[in-house]
Amino acid sequence: MPFLQQFCHALYGSSFGTMLRESNNAFSVIESVHVLSIALLFGTVAVLDLRMLGLVLRPIPVGSVARGTLPLTWCGFAVSVTSGFLLFWAEAEKMYANPSFRAKLVLLALAGFNAFVFHTTIFRRAREWELLTLPPWRARAAAIASLTLWSGVIVAGRAIAYF
Amino acid sequence: MFVWLHMLFAALAHSQLGHAMQTSRWGFALVEMAHLLGLAFLGGSILIVDLRILGVILKNESAVAIGRSLTRVLIFSLVVMAISGIALLSEEAEKCYLSPAFRCKMALLATAIVFYFTVHRIALRRKEMGTSSLWPRAVAVISLLLWLGVGVAGRAIGLL
Repeated sequence: MPFLQQFCHALYGSSFGTMLRESNNAFSVIESVHVLSIALLFGTVAVLDLRMLGLVLRPIPVGSVARGTLPLTWCGFAVSVTSGFLLFWAEAEKMYANPSFRAKLVLLALAGFNAFVFHTTIFRRAREWELLTLPPWRARAAAIASLTLWSGVIVAGRAIAYF
Repeated sequence: MFVWLHMLFAALAHSQLGHAMQTSRWGFALVEMAHLLGLAFLGGSILIVDLRILGVILKNESAVAIGRSLTRVLIFSLVVMAISGIALLSEEAEKCYLSPAFRCKMALLATAIVFYFTVHRIALRRKEMGTSSLWPRAVAVISLLLWLGVGVAGRAIGLL
């Protein structure tokens, strides 16, 4: 068995994983937290993306919007990853083989990479363009990529149950 | 009075939409995905507006301007969620009609929507004028709790 599969097998069979999986309420509560956290994670980053596309909050400079929303997005990310990891732990063996789960992780990595590229390049020079109602094309491209990739993460996440 | 409501739910279940949702495996999934994406945009917009009222974020920006801009996002999300929600409902209308979680969710949803376009709107203006600080903040907290309640009740529909 490949190492990754062994690791998933170990998590699945562990007492904690089993307890979570067979619990009456714990798994449902964690899953609910995970689902509702998409409002905190994607909802807030979506508003920033929409600002960068010049669709909302036009009078407010992009830097100010980012300063307001990104801490919320990070909180949402922390909650999503924590709850997500626990859900994964409970179902690890099944997740290993699940194509939708794999797709979700790939999209998640791409969303993270998009954010990383954006923040280390065009966003560094935000002062130059943040007052514009329509930012430069690189920022708009990052915004579209962000909206698409995070939507993909959510769609793939929902599809996990269907495989 | 509730007989006609019950009949409406039954009609929905027997409609073309209902049959399509009941027989299509991926149809239900796709509609659920749209519902979730709507949830994200709705939650994000209400979070930012209410956290502005609470003075947590964007303190130097106009609360009314933020509210006006993000209300458009909220309305658009609500429309998406209403359409997808009706489609989801048509898949198991009878079960939802009898479900306490569903009834709770609808009650909270109606309350949240009315609250948002009345009390909440006034609170935004009060916040802008900078007169009283406690009452708008209480309204923002109530707003967040109402919408969170809608979300939790929604989750409960599938779990109870």
